[in-house]
Amino acid sequence: MWLKSLMRNKYRYISWIIGFILFVGPFAIIMRIYYYLAGILREPDLHMACFRMPIDWIFSGRIYYIFSYPEMFLFIFAVLITSLILGPVFCGWLCPVGAFSEAISRIIPLPNKYRIQIKDPKITRAIRYGFLTGFIMISILILLGFSERFTAICCWYCASSVLQQIINGIINPIELEYWFSGSIIVLIFWLIIGGIFTVGGRGWCLFFCPLGALSGIFHKIGSKLGFYRTIRIEGKCSNCDKCISVCPMQAIDSNFSIERTLCINCKECISRCPNKLYKMIWRNKNASSKIN
Amino acid sequence: MKKTILISFVITMLITLFSSVYAKDLSKSEIVHFWIAVPAGNITEPITIIKAGLPPIKMAPLVIDLDQRGIFKKILNPNTEAISTHWIYNIGKKPIRIKLELIEANYPIRWEVKAAWPYDPETHTFTKPLPPGMGIPKLSIDWIFEIPNYYMDEKVIYDGGLLVIDADTNELLTFIPIKLIRGGISQGGGASCCG
Repeated sequence: MWLKSLMRNKYRYISWIIGFILFVGPFAIIMRIYYYLAGILREPDLHMACFRMPIDWIFSGRIYYIFSYPEMFLFIFAVLITSLILGPVFCGWLCPVGAFSEAISRIIPLPNKYRIQIKDPKITRAIRYGFLTGFIMISILILLGFSERFTAICCWYCASSVLQQIINGIINPIELEYWFSGSIIVLIFWLIIGGIFTVGGRGWCLFFCPLGALSGIFHKIGSKLGFYRTIRIEGKCSNCDKCISVCPMQAIDSNFSIERTLCINCKECISRCPNKLYKMIWRNKNASSKIN
Repeated sequence: MKKTILISFVITMLITLFSSVYAKDLSKSEIVHFWIAVPAGNITEPITIIKAGLPPIKMAPLVIDLDQRGIFKKILNPNTEAISTHWIYNIGKKPIRIKLELIEANYPIRWEVKAAWPYDPETHTFTKPLPPGMGIPKLSIDWIFEIPNYYMDEKVIYDGGLLVIDADTNELLTFIPIKLIRGGISQGGGASCCG
């Protein structure tokens, strides 16, 4: 049963591995290519395609970092534009941070009844955007001169750094010797609470990723413009609730409505629905569906 | 329902703001980040260097009180501590080949250096001269103190400093005193590691 549940949507496993090779050191192919073309000597790692710092820099008035780290701004820009057109496919198919916690969640066969599940996606959305608002407010407070009391939280609570540290530690165990409070807290929230003990294993993505939250907004705008999105069509439903239980983002509510700002177009609902009631569409803005 | 949604939003926002305040407090005693300007002489008190074309560079002797670290750190990983920099700027008038030396302790201090600038890990020297008015690009240096148990009971766990030297002339350009202590007040660190 458990092994069978692992076999769903096999292409995502392949894309996770590709995402891992593209972004995580020692491979970090994307940054390696960029560094090669730009003549930069540094060894690339996941931290150099930071998902958070450019967002903080923009709102804290430090956009001049675009000259020092143009690749980070380009990366975020690419993720957001992709989210607009194809949905948050980076989150669903490539992001190594989300893939790692989701994979851990799948591997550990803990029944969903022992895991955190927020039944109403509107509450999940409120938490997600409460975090994003707080994240942006910190940057603005720093801009306004409150830097003696507040600090940017991008690096202090950084799941990318922790993931890279774990991988570095597999290669060279000495790298696992140093942990600070922020990285310990991240490990607990990202892999244990958000991974093992959250339905879908993406608690970190849902509640603590500003890029994921922004991608959700772009996806919502994109879906209104008629770009790629997952919808549920009218049809005979066997009420098995598989779509709800396999959605890694807890984006489907009990009425089978999809919360657009949470959906990452991962196609888990499409692959699991026995009645084929979910599908991805393009353009057809007025398709008969339950979508928000 | 709307009330629940609003409460969820506000509580998460407040938790996020609190997490920033918590991080700010801990950043004075855990993985303390600091700025380096060369040449700046012996840093005996907090100074801010303002140079055209460079961000304000705040420097101070570092005093890190290990007792002020976070609860998770104290319980789960107390025997290591780190200091870190992402910023070394040449504020002088000539190009400098920068060499770094950390006054040693009676236990290992591990260097982790990454930079988009040629670096020799054997001699801790940036082998290409750094032009005036420029910082070492994409720099990340962590010094990790692996403190044995029996040192953790001492009042002073490390009393040394970082020497920044001109590798061509061996002239001392900048000296930043660094102390790791138990009990007291952390000073001099707390720069935001996010730039």
